[in-house]
Amino acid sequence: MAAGMERRDFLKVVGVGGAGATVAGCSTGEVEKLLPYVTHPEEITPGVATWYTTACGGCEAGCGMWARTREGRVVKLEGNPNHPVSQGALCSVGHASLQHLYNPDRHPGPLVREGDRFRSGGWDEAERFLASKIDPETRVLFLTGRCGPTLDRLFDEFTAAVNGTRVRYLPGSNSPALAAAAIVYGADAPSLGDIGAARTLISFGDDFTEGTGSVEGGRGLARSNALAPDGSKGRFVYVGPRLSATGMNADEWVPVRPGTEALLALGMASAIATDPEAAGSWAPLLRQHTPATTAAATGVEEADIRELAHRFASEGPSLALGPGAGGSHRRATQAHVAVALLNHVAGAAGGTVRVGSGPNPTGSYGEMADAVEAMAAGAVDVVLVHGINPVYEMPRSSGFREAFEQVPFKASFAQARDETSALADLVLPDRHFLESWGDTNPRAGIRALQQPVMQPVPHFDSKQTGDVLLSVAAHLGSDPGASTFFDYLREAYRAEAGEGDFDARWREYLRSGVVEIDADPDPEDTADSAAAPALMPMGAVDFTPARFDEGGDLTLLVHPSPRLGSGEHANQPWLQELPDPASKITWHSWLEINPHTAEERGLGDGDIVSVASAHGTVEVPVWLYPGIREDAVALALGGGHTAMGRWADGNGVNALDLLPSDTDELSGAFAATSVTVTVTPTGSRRALATVSGSDDDFDRPIAPAVALADLGHAEEHEDEHHGELDELQGLGGFVPVPAEDGAPTAFPLEGSRHGPYENSHESEPRWAMAIDLDKCTGCSACVTACQAENNVPWVGEEQLLGGREMSWIRLERYYKQVDATRAGPLDVRFLPMLCQHCGNAPCEPVCPVYATYHTPDGLNAQIYNRCVGTRYCANNCPYKVRVFNWLRYADGVPEPMNWQWNPDVTVRGNGVMEKCSFCVQRIREAENRAALEEGRPVRDGEVVPACQQSCAAEAIVFGNIRDPESRVARVTDDERTYRVLDEFINTQPAVSYLKKVTHHAASSGAGHAP
Amino acid sequence: MTRHWLFVGLSCAAALVTLAFIQVEQDAEHEEEEAAESVQPIAFPHDQHSGSEPGQNRMDCQYCHFSAERSVDAGIPSVASCWGCHQAIPGTDARAEVAKIGEYVRSGEPIPWVRIYKVSDHVRFPHMRHVNAGLTCQECHGEVQETGVIEEPSPVWGGDNMGWCVSCHRKPDENGEQQASTDCAVCHY
Repeated sequence: MAAGMERRDFLKVVGVGGAGATVAGCSTGEVEKLLPYVTHPEEITPGVATWYTTACGGCEAGCGMWARTREGRVVKLEGNPNHPVSQGALCSVGHASLQHLYNPDRHPGPLVREGDRFRSGGWDEAERFLASKIDPETRVLFLTGRCGPTLDRLFDEFTAAVNGTRVRYLPGSNSPALAAAAIVYGADAPSLGDIGAARTLISFGDDFTEGTGSVEGGRGLARSNALAPDGSKGRFVYVGPRLSATGMNADEWVPVRPGTEALLALGMASAIATDPEAAGSWAPLLRQHTPATTAAATGVEEADIRELAHRFASEGPSLALGPGAGGSHRRATQAHVAVALLNHVAGAAGGTVRVGSGPNPTGSYGEMADAVEAMAAGAVDVVLVHGINPVYEMPRSSGFREAFEQVPFKASFAQARDETSALADLVLPDRHFLESWGDTNPRAGIRALQQPVMQPVPHFDSKQTGDVLLSVAAHLGSDPGASTFFDYLREAYRAEAGEGDFDARWREYLRSGVVEIDADPDPEDTADSAAAPALMPMGAVDFTPARFDEGGDLTLLVHPSPRLGSGEHANQPWLQELPDPASKITWHSWLEINPHTAEERGLGDGDIVSVASAHGTVEVPVWLYPGIREDAVALALGGGHTAMGRWADGNGVNALDLLPSDTDELSGAFAATSVTVTVTPTGSRRALATVSGSDDDFDRPIAPAVALADLGHAEEHEDEHHGELDELQGLGGFVPVPAEDGAPTAFPLEGSRHGPYENSHESEPRWAMAIDLDKCTGCSACVTACQAENNVPWVGEEQLLGGREMSWIRLERYYKQVDATRAGPLDVRFLPMLCQHCGNAPCEPVCPVYATYHTPDGLNAQIYNRCVGTRYCANNCPYKVRVFNWLRYADGVPEPMNWQWNPDVTVRGNGVMEKCSFCVQRIREAENRAALEEGRPVRDGEVVPACQQSCAAEAIVFGNIRDPESRVARVTDDERTYRVLDEFINTQPAVSYLKKVTHHAASSGAGHAP
Repeated sequence: MTRHWLFVGLSCAAALVTLAFIQVEQDAEHEEEEAAESVQPIAFPHDQHSGSEPGQNRMDCQYCHFSAERSVDAGIPSVASCWGCHQAIPGTDARAEVAKIGEYVRSGEPIPWVRIYKVSDHVRFPHMRHVNAGLTCQECHGEVQETGVIEEPSPVWGGDNMGWCVSCHRKPDENGEQQASTDCAVCHY
């Protein structure tokens, strides 16, 4: 070998290099800084949550809210129990408004258009720019959507000051209800149905447990349906061509032909009114529409109509609800008129129906269509847009986009990116309702203030629109009487509050979250004092069924999404990943089609079809759904965004692309269900991003029900399950291990024998939960509440398709009896499935590192720092409630959305198993608080897990089951109580379910299906 | 042929040596930066404030760490809190350090204290439970009142060594029972 480097020298050099690399690998951790306040805010104690009251701006219901803040950041929202609408609960959309606040796709600050792009501007520049575009000759059009009453007044004053025109519009706003109230009673507000007070409830397509007002609706349904001490139970009938998530709660489903709800209601009214003259001048109408004459048009048999009518009249108090946003077609007002007559002849008006007390709609589509015409005709110089996104929310056929683009100057007050602000010349980003002052007035007599619960998120240079308008008005030389919207709002309330110490009152409004002003009539009083109101004389109302544009063979039912609304919530990943309460599909759009119709056309789940109407075409995968008529298909709104943000864009299709710009004739409301379509397979297929395992529980006792008639006779049926249990064991299934000391001696491990079956540690609580399936409406608010509280990440569509969803609660849905061909009993069961915290948990003995074990207080704990990710526990869990963090999902949460993390809960990394913890952080917090107060034990009701807190139906109860006085112990002591699969596999869960009660004979779930 | 291999080998070796030096140099820079970062922004003498020697001020720990008995966090005093005393007390032997507080007050910036004591993110340590159980601060943080500027944890501090926590939790109370829970889910969730 020639002179030069020896192999040994070479290795030495490599060794040095390697050493360098090793040093780099071992560098110490980052230096962490502790940043104190410069001046400490009095109300903040680091590490202790501060709560503020405010009101939700997620929809028009304006639920009262409590915002939990930690060190100045809002981390969780809960319902305010003082507020008459929410009464302490909150829906998924309300929870997810946090993701709107911390949405990274909010506008960074004022934006000024320069050619094809925006450049950032300052607020002063932006306001002067807007003021410079307005002079006395300018024709200003102000399009507004959702806003509080005081901002609404300011909008009116501003519009008047600039001599402009204002148009209010919100998609799905219930203008047919108002038009009908005017026709039937001459009222200036819609009728309000007291759902909770009704014992026979018929919804003609009002999806009141979804979307706007779902909290109040869900609570009402649970109360209406509840078992009474006398053993009776409310009955809920759903009328409509498609079973919505609300409809799935019904005891009976009447799959009426689309557009014929009015006829069915008239037929029922006619059957009830033995003396049609009771209907005054409307009597001829009832004589004309008998059950016999309406049966053919509605597709409901005469006997069924008579039966419905009989129950409606005799099993009171009863209430019928007109179609909501999900049932809007060209005859929606007629349906409301007919429903009002039905209520009237059944004596509900003045009782469960409060005439003129309902929430007024925000404008109508008809006014918006006129505005489009004006813009297209060049009659508008400046258009201002606040609180709506009409470029997306108006159908393409309306020509809104083209007309809007023609307006010389367009300013948007959008808080975050959307399709409308993308076309604007000037963007003046509004603040989120959690950062601003405002008020809500969902209906007469209910008012609440909104206050900033935190400093504005510093990533966004936003300004409240009220402040901007006041400032622009000042630039224009008019004097609005206040320099900030806060002053404007306060003065408005000072004027109303009358005599007395206003400052004290104002503080009380903010503290309680409810504004009580004596001048407001109490709706309860007016309802009691008012007798049945008088009917107006009958006008010329055409009750022929609604017309659907021809061109196809299937009627297209278009409805708002329970998660995404009309699309305004589409950029919130919690809502995108929240399984739809009915279909359990996430992220993308789907076309609902009856399995028989699908079979005829050779379609299966996930087949992509081309849906074509006379107005457009979309391509969407189908989902086979027994809860829709064979002559209809359904598509939800909310998908197909193009410029809203990273989570909205490109997901699904916009159903509006298929629709004409047409309205309900009498009210001007948008007719969403207005076309027939053809459905043609494209030949391609995709996997549905669904979390639904099976629609059938295969008659295992997973979600059993009990018939009302069988209640109180439970012992007669006691033996029926044993045969099956033996059979399962005979097949080599799970052999139950006695929980008492015994073989195998090593199992259960010490500390895991804390079922209600053994009382060895009586000083320790045993945390347990009871879920009443007769109350659960399947609304899924608990799922989002859990996600917000427990730092549960979303995983995105691709990961979800791989079965990697992380949600700790799964709302299972089983069809037991669904018949779309005729009116009859319906049985769809919901089951919130979470970790059962088994006393004899199959997950515990298989963990090789003791990461999951039983705590002395009865929790099945999951210790993240011990977990090495073998996933044996998930394999062995019969309930499939353990989820594995495959990737660093939490790292995918962009700034500032990570500001929402709950600091009391570990943000888990990858390689770790996780699951419901019974909100252990809330248990520990309550224990800490109790210990600090003279070492007392935790009181019943002090620990409220996030799911229970958000449940409008009050289906969930949590507490210490060792304490016989606790609510959970009392609720569980019921003949309906069962534990899922416990009798098969002896898992001894800490979660007890109370069986659903059906009016018809129920399949118990454990026996054999009928 | 041999020469060819030699050439290739030498080039590789040279490249590796260069890389190694760059690496070492970068590490050195990084360490220097880190060292600078880990110096307390104000040389705060705990002994001067809470020591009991003559000339020291015997302040209670919770005068500044104000939330230790009612919150999970002990609390770091606000700049205004320091300034409350120090606008009147310029200090005797470290006037320049005291004057820094005034700078922070004027600029409205927080003092970027270097964190010395930290338990891992998967541990929940509620200060108030420990303070209310009668533990003194010194049992975990050492004789802080005798220490000047704190640059590193006290030798008493067990850090992320869970055995240190558990050994205390296991001690018997007056009834002879274990004085605090050793259940995992009391601290880890």
